[in-house]
Formats: sequence, C-alpha cells, structure tokens
Amino acid sequence: MNDHREILSEAVPEWQLELDKVGFFRRLLLSRKWFKGDWWFVLISGILLITIITIGIFPQWFAPHDPREEVGPSLLGPGEETPIFLLLIDQSSDATTFADIASVKNKIGYTVGSQSTQAMRNTIDRLNAQAEKEGIDIVYQPRGERFETVEEGLEAVSAGEVDGFISSEEELGEVIAQFDNLIVLEEMRSSKAKSFVLGTNQIGQDIFSRIIWGTRIALIVGLSSAVISFLIGVPLGLFSGFIGGRIDRLLTFFMDSLYTFPGLILAISIAAVLGAGIGNIILAIAVVYIPTYFRIVRGQTLTVKNELFVEAARSLGTKPIEIMTKYVFPNVLPSVVIIFSVNVADAILTEAGLSFIGLGLPPDTPDWGIDLARGQDYLRRAWWLITFPGSMVTLVTLAFSMLGESLSEILNPRLSEL
Amino acid sequence: MSSSLRRFLITRFLMTIPMVLIMVSMVFFIMRVLPGDPIRSQLGPKVSEEQADRIRERLGLNDPLPVQYFNYLIDMATLDFGNALTRGERPIKDELGERLPATIELTIPAMLFTSLFGIGMGAFAAKNRKKFIDYSIRVFSVFIYSIPIFFLGLVFQIIFGVRLNLLPLSGRMDSLILANFDSITNFYILDSILTRNWGALKSGALHLIMPSITLGLALTGVFIRLTRVNMIEMLKSDFITAGRARGIPENRLVFKHALRNTFIPIMTLIGLQMAILIAGAVLTETTFSWPGMGRYLVDRIALRDYTAVQSTIAVFAFFVAIISLLMDILYALVDPRIRY
Amino acid sequence: MALEPLVKIRDLSVTYQTRIGPVSAVDHISFDIKKGEILGLVGESGCGKSTLGKALLRMIDPPGEISSGKIIFDNENIMEYDDVQLRDFRGRRVSMIFQDPMTSLNPVQRTDDHLVETIQVHEPQTKKELGLQRAGELIERLGIGADRMISYPHHLSGGMRQRVMTGIGLILNADLIVADEATTSLDVIVEAKLADQLREIREEFGISLLMITHNIALVAEMADRIAVMYAGHMVEIGDIFDVFEKPKHPYTQGLLASIPNIQFNVNEELYKMPGEPPNLTRPPEGCRFHPRCPKAMPICSKKEPSLIEIKKNRFVHCWLYQDHPEKMAK
Repeated sequence: MNDHREILSEAVPEWQLELDKVGFFRRLLLSRKWFKGDWWFVLISGILLITIITIGIFPQWFAPHDPREEVGPSLLGPGEETPIFLLLIDQSSDATTFADIASVKNKIGYTVGSQSTQAMRNTIDRLNAQAEKEGIDIVYQPRGERFETVEEGLEAVSAGEVDGFISSEEELGEVIAQFDNLIVLEEMRSSKAKSFVLGTNQIGQDIFSRIIWGTRIALIVGLSSAVISFLIGVPLGLFSGFIGGRIDRLLTFFMDSLYTFPGLILAISIAAVLGAGIGNIILAIAVVYIPTYFRIVRGQTLTVKNELFVEAARSLGTKPIEIMTKYVFPNVLPSVVIIFSVNVADAILTEAGLSFIGLGLPPDTPDWGIDLARGQDYLRRAWWLITFPGSMVTLVTLAFSMLGESLSEILNPRLSEL
Repeated sequence: MSSSLRRFLITRFLMTIPMVLIMVSMVFFIMRVLPGDPIRSQLGPKVSEEQADRIRERLGLNDPLPVQYFNYLIDMATLDFGNALTRGERPIKDELGERLPATIELTIPAMLFTSLFGIGMGAFAAKNRKKFIDYSIRVFSVFIYSIPIFFLGLVFQIIFGVRLNLLPLSGRMDSLILANFDSITNFYILDSILTRNWGALKSGALHLIMPSITLGLALTGVFIRLTRVNMIEMLKSDFITAGRARGIPENRLVFKHALRNTFIPIMTLIGLQMAILIAGAVLTETTFSWPGMGRYLVDRIALRDYTAVQSTIAVFAFFVAIISLLMDILYALVDPRIRY
Repeated sequence: MALEPLVKIRDLSVTYQTRIGPVSAVDHISFDIKKGEILGLVGESGCGKSTLGKALLRMIDPPGEISSGKIIFDNENIMEYDDVQLRDFRGRRVSMIFQDPMTSLNPVQRTDDHLVETIQVHEPQTKKELGLQRAGELIERLGIGADRMISYPHHLSGGMRQRVMTGIGLILNADLIVADEATTSLDVIVEAKLADQLREIREEFGISLLMITHNIALVAEMADRIAVMYAGHMVEIGDIFDVFEKPKHPYTQGLLASIPNIQFNVNEELYKMPGEPPNLTRPPEGCRFHPRCPKAMPICSKKEPSLIEIKKNRFVHCWLYQDHPEKMAK
C-alpha cells in the first residue's frame, strides 16, 4: 500500500490526499459548514425517516384502534363527533347507572332500524369486559324490545313496561318534549371513541389507525424489494464490469432490455401473472430496479478499473479480489447508497400504484394504495378518505428521496466545488 | 441531407427492429413462461376442464413453447391481436386503434408542459446554484416527484372539479357533445377542428387540461433534477469559462450555450424516461377515466383477459421504440458530432 | 528598454475556502506587466500561476475569492468594476487563451459564430456581415483557410483550434492576452508555430502577452521578462537573459539546474530539487521555500522576506539579498 502512496503524491496535492484519508462519516460531519442547506436536508430527512421507521416497526404504539375493525360510523369527518344515543328512564326509576338495568331481567327498548342497538351492545361489551377484569361474577345481558316508533317506546318506559329506552337525539326530536317524566340515564356511543382525528372510511374503519398500519406495509414492501434488487444488482454489476468480455456484453444486453422496459408495466405484468400477495409484489418491484444497480455499479467498476492507480496496483501484483474490495467497492458505495434511498422511494410509489390499480395486496390490508383506490368513489362526499393516505405516501417518499438527493450533493465530489 | 446523416438515420431505423423484437419477446416470456394458468383464472371455476382445454387448444397454448413463440411473433408482426376473451367484445386491434390516439393526445401536451417547465426550472436552478431559489426548486422537484400521480390527480379533481367546479372530472368529452361528434382520427382536438365542431373543441380541451397537467407535473420532478445536474456539469465546462472570459453575459451562457449542449445528454435520458411516462399515463388514465391504452390495460387485467393484456403491452413496447427512435433522430440533428 | 506599465498589480491575494480551511493560493503579490512585452510566468504545478492569470480577469469563482489587492489596468482599478464594466473589460481589453482548445470551444458552435458572437456581444451595433468579414480576415491572418469558418471544433486539428482561440482573443484588439498553458496540449512543432505567430502578433499589434507555463524552455525562447512563482509568492522577476544567466533566488537556481541539457555530461545525474511543494492550508512560517532551500538561514523560518528591487527591473524575494535586524541573531 505504501508504494501506491508514493506514486500518487507527485500528481495529487497533499491536502487532497489528506481529505481522502478522512472516512465517510467524518466527511459527512465535517461537511456541515460547507454544505449548509444540503446538510440540513439530510438531517431533516434522517429524523423524518427514523420517525417513520419507528412507526413502521411499532404501529401498535401509535394507532388508537385496530385498522380492520369497524370502530365508528361510516364516513365520519375528521374530528367530527360520533352520534350520541340517549338511554332514557322514567324519573321514578331508582337506577343510577346503566349497570342497574342491565341484567337479564331487564328490558331496554329501541326503534327498528336505529343505530342505537350498536351503541348499547358496545356499552354492554364494555361493562362485561370490565366486570371480567375486576373479577365480578356478573354478566350483563338485558333483553331488547322493539318498537315501531319512538313514541311507543317512550310511552312504554313511562308505563313501566320496559326499564329503559335508547335512541339518538335526532330520532327523539320533538317527541321527547311531551315526556318530561323521562330523564337521561346515560349517554352512549355506537363507536369506540368520541371522535376520530382523521375520520372514518366507508366501512367505518379509523383512517388514522389505517395509515399508521399502512406505514408498516409500505416500509416492508419498499425496503424488501430494494434490498433484493441491491443484493442481486450490485454483485452482478461488479462481476460484469470486472470480468468484461462476452459475459459482460451478454449481461449488459439483458439488463439494458430490462431497464428500457417501462417499469410499472413490468411490475404490472409480473404481478398480474404471479397473482396477488405481498411476496409477489415485492418480487415484481424488485425485478424492476435490479438493472439500475447493475448499470451504476458496472459503470463505476469500469471507470475505476481503468484508472491509473488501479493499473499501478495491478502492475504491482495485487490480486483481483483485493482490487475489487479495496478500490472498486469503496468508490462505488456512495452512489449505491444514494440509489438505494431513491429506490425505496420509488418502490413505495410503485406499490401504491399497483394497489391503486387493484393488483396489489389482499383487499383488506391497511395499505395506502388500497385506501386511495377505494376512496375514489367518495371524492365528493368525503375528501378525507384519500387525502390522508395520499399525504402519507408523499411524506414517506419525500423523506427517502430528500435523503438520496442531498446525500448525492454531499458525497459526490465531482459535483461539489473543490 | 448529408450522406453521413442519411446513413445514420437508416442505421438507427434498422436498430429499432431488434429493440421492438426484444420488448415483445419479453412480454411473451413474462406472460407465458411465468407460473400461473391464465385461462383458468380468466374463466373461473365454473367452466369444465374439457371446455378449458378446448380453449387452450384453440389459442395454441398446448403447443410446445418455441412454436408458441413463433406464432406469437407472426401475430405481432401482422398486428393480429386476436379477440378479447370475454364474449361479445370487439377485436382487440380495433379497441387499441381507438385508444392509442387517446393516450397520445394526453401525452403530447404533458410532454410539452414538462419540457418547458422542467427544463426551464432545472436550468434556472443550475444557474443559481446553492442560492435560495435553487434549494426551493430542488425541494419542489423532490416534492412533486414524491406525490403519487394518482393522488395528485385526485387532489386536482377535488379542488378544481368539486370545490371550484371549474373543470370536468373524467372522460374526454361531454357525453352530449360526444353524441354529435364525428371522430375521424380519434384525436379529438384535431377532429373537432377538422369538423369545425367548436363545442367539441372546447369540451375536449377542457377535459384535457387536468389530466395532461397532472401527467406533466408528475414528470417535471424528474426533468428538473436531470436538467439541473447536467447543467451544473455543463456550466463547469471549459468553453463556458472561456465564454465568460470574453465577456459573454451569464444569461446567454446559461440559456443559449450551456442549455444547447445539455439537450444532448438530456435527450438520451428523455428516451429512457419513457418508462415513467407510460407508468404515469396508466395511472393518470385510471384516475381520470381517460379511455386510453393505460386504462384499457388496467381494465383488462382486472378481468384477467391476458390476451388483451399481452397485446396492449406489446403496443406499448412499439410506442416506446418509436419514441426512442424519434429522440435519437432529433439528437443527431442537434449534435453535429454524432454520425455513425 | 523602459516600457510603460500596462497592468499594475499591487498586493494581490486569492484565497480559496476549502473544507479543511482557507488556502492562500496567491499571497500578496505585486508586479507590473509592461505594454508590448511578453512576460513569462513560470512555476511548479499548484504554485498559483494559473490562479493569478484568472485573477487578472477577475474570473475567480467561489469558493475562491480575491481577498485583497488592486489590479490597475490602464489607470483603472478593475477590482472596482461592476458587472457591466467587467463584461466589457473581458474580451475587449484583456482576453485569455486556455490550455485545451478542444474543450474551450463550444462543440455545437461554428468557428465564425464564435468570433461574430464575441464581436456582437461587445459591439451590438455591428452588423453580421461586417463581423463575418473581420472574423474572416483575422482567421486568414492566423493561417487558417477561410473555408474553415463554417467548421465545428471537432473538424479542426489541435493547432487550428488553438489558433481559433487566439483569434477570439484578438478579434477585439485586446491590450493583454493571458495565455494559460496555451501550448501544453500541442505537440512541439505546432507549439513552435503558434509561438512564432504570437510573436508576430506582438510585433504587429503591440499586444502584451502573459505566458503562464511550466515550460521554461518556451519562456526562454519567447519572453522578454520572466517571473517565477512558488507556493503563491512571486520569488523572482527580471529580464530573461539576466535571470537565466544569473538566477538569484535559490528556487530559480534549482529550477534552471533541473532542465535537462543535452550538452551536459550524459553520465551526470539529473538534478532534482528535494522536497515537495507545501500544503497551502498550512504554509510554512516565514519564507515558504525555506524547508527545501539549500541556503536557508535561521531568519527564513521566522519572517517572510519582501520582493525588493535589487537593481533596475530586477526583483528577488529572498533574505539573501535583504537585511533585517534579526538576520544576524542566532
């Protein structure tokens, strides 16, 4: 190695050699003052990515509800309150909470077709769960009594035929004014929460929870496919560039054809043929990006291979493997890192696109692309169905792309002024 | 035309053939060789095994692979795409014939938009490198690139279609106007001018605005970055420094000298960006229900009509090859150094 | 020959802000360029001569900047020029010929276009035909056939391209041409022809020529005066014969001694100056040459000498020819 230093130092000014001695990470830190804006971009996207990855690994910490569960009314706006149902009892009753009239012996009235039953069932489940936790040996299971109209129900409560009547404020309307003997025992909701910060979709799923869980899917697909592309493309590129000759030409030809083939179409075809399922999607997307790694790595390998210092090393008898790892690989690494982050960004976009078209994951998966596709029909009524999943895709893609972009400005010495 | 230019054009044209051949073969490979039984999934479980087998026989799917391949190539060359598998559908060729102009009519304004906007902003950013406007343009380009095309389209639909009610949400033309519209070439804008149907022109143009701007914007991100990077390199060139040393104003150096030289590598890259253009077209057409080839592809996939899918992808491959050829020809015209 | 000074450079410094600190590429340099003279500026790679040349046209780009000094061109300090004046200045009063003519010409622009554009940028009222005429005349004068006017750079040979570059430099009758390694990429015969041409031009037009090169032999042949630079400092200036016969600065002595000379004893070893040029982010204390100087004294490592005129038109930057109270101290 020392021999190499001497050959070089007459051609290259000493201070530049010193700069090269400083490693990857030190260069990154040293460059802060130098690169100003870009450095901040790297920092911001780095922080963003760490947050996103944390969310992806532990979505259960961040999501308030199960993404597949019907937790609220359909198409509820962000922050809108879920409808409240009132449980009415006659003032003569001595019940103080719902639990008092919730045993099997009690009857609660409701109107046909009302959502109130859901509210009641929710509350009953809650009470039962709590009782189980506290170890109390009571099962709450009041019987329901159907009424055709609200009036009949209210009369029945007043008459003592049923222990309580549940209905929404809306349904009660004007009628309640006539019954001032009735008081509200409890307020119940049909949904698990008072409101949902980002609203619910047409099935009643919480959008916030869905996008949190969607992060995991997006990251899994994005990172896995990028890793696969990397693991196949980089070694092939190194090998092909180094070996040269007919093998190289053949590989390049094959990779070029793959590269010029429109990416999404390729992914679509592969996915269409292999079928739905997360593994197939990952594979389909991975294939699309292999040529990119191959080309860049091969190009760099060729450049480095022909550089004087490698020739010098070869003439001094250094083994090919050593040349590849000591000279080629470190030169190639910065570019590959950059491609990787852009790759992940692209993979996430492609996955969203595939799901949007309907080729992606099983329809129940909490995936951003799927949500966007389903939200299309509700454009007029419920803008929140698509806005939030779409924004998440944009945000995550943005973070990865920004990282790649700014890293490329910093690590690519040819582009920076020196 | 100089003889070297003529030679180049002929050579380049001939090179298109193997390129198309490769792409079309790739389609074949993917569709036929990968695991999965297209016929079965297309027809569903209700069809008996005998019937399925008869269909396979008819379509030649039981023949040995090389024979299939050969027949496939002949079919492609003669543009015999067959019929869609679902009963009562038109021959695929007719469908595609109608939809290809639709897709082209969408992509041309988009490309114009991108070229102007993207290249212009990229050059401007390169000129003012490391200043605030450069960072802003870079952030903008990364941001635009990160927004999924279909999301962008949906957002536009909400803003301009629903809230402001300015532009139509889908389709190529008002259905009422469409009923009285004679379309000759299937290029609606062109046809409406030819038939002097001004209502149709207005309707067609209005319907074209959102989809083409969406597609154009989506590509702009890539173009800004490409142009900027190439321009930065170009602005470091010796001839730019030499030009500056003799007092040529900066703007002229950037927008005339450097840009003209940058076009050359950019054009090659434009050819390669066709992939993104097609992906964008597929997604945009789906979002805006634009009856082009992209949407046809998606619809047919949903119906598991693999014959149609295969043919559509093949036509896309032709499309790419032709554009690639055009780009190279343009390249040769612009760069005096390139002659084979 | 007492010639009038065309350019007076006083206390010029150029600093580059790099990732590891500021590099002083040109450090407080003062000298004159006389009217109608050919001044050869020589030194090792990295000594700052190219930077100095660029500074004369104020073509130092960030991260570098002219951190101090004045450049007085024909009684005007060009450091005070605004953008408009600067653009007028470049090409019309001073022009530069670059090292690599292939890359210095716009590949997609024809020869005549190069020239006419230069004219029109400075004299917008000139009509194209007149411009073409002037360009054609000049090109022929430089020995290139008029049929080459419509050629693109890649159609021309190396020598022709360099002559086109020279033509661009002359088309507006500049007073000073800065030739930055203009012949380095040419083979010797073409180089000789170009050198002849430049001399003719000087005779005919009275132009000053600053020849920046590391080829001392070329300077010996062409220049009237020679200026030697080392590590951002001007170490010796003087009449060409004077300096070659009696070099005063140890560096100049070493430089001249290391030129291979056929007439010397072939068995003698080629002289090589020991050491390496210094790291300009941390230049040596005192005289920057002292680590390599065979005649170094204690004061050399402590204080920097100044460029003084030891006799008429002869300047040296060395403690050997100056006095200082500390010089005799141990």
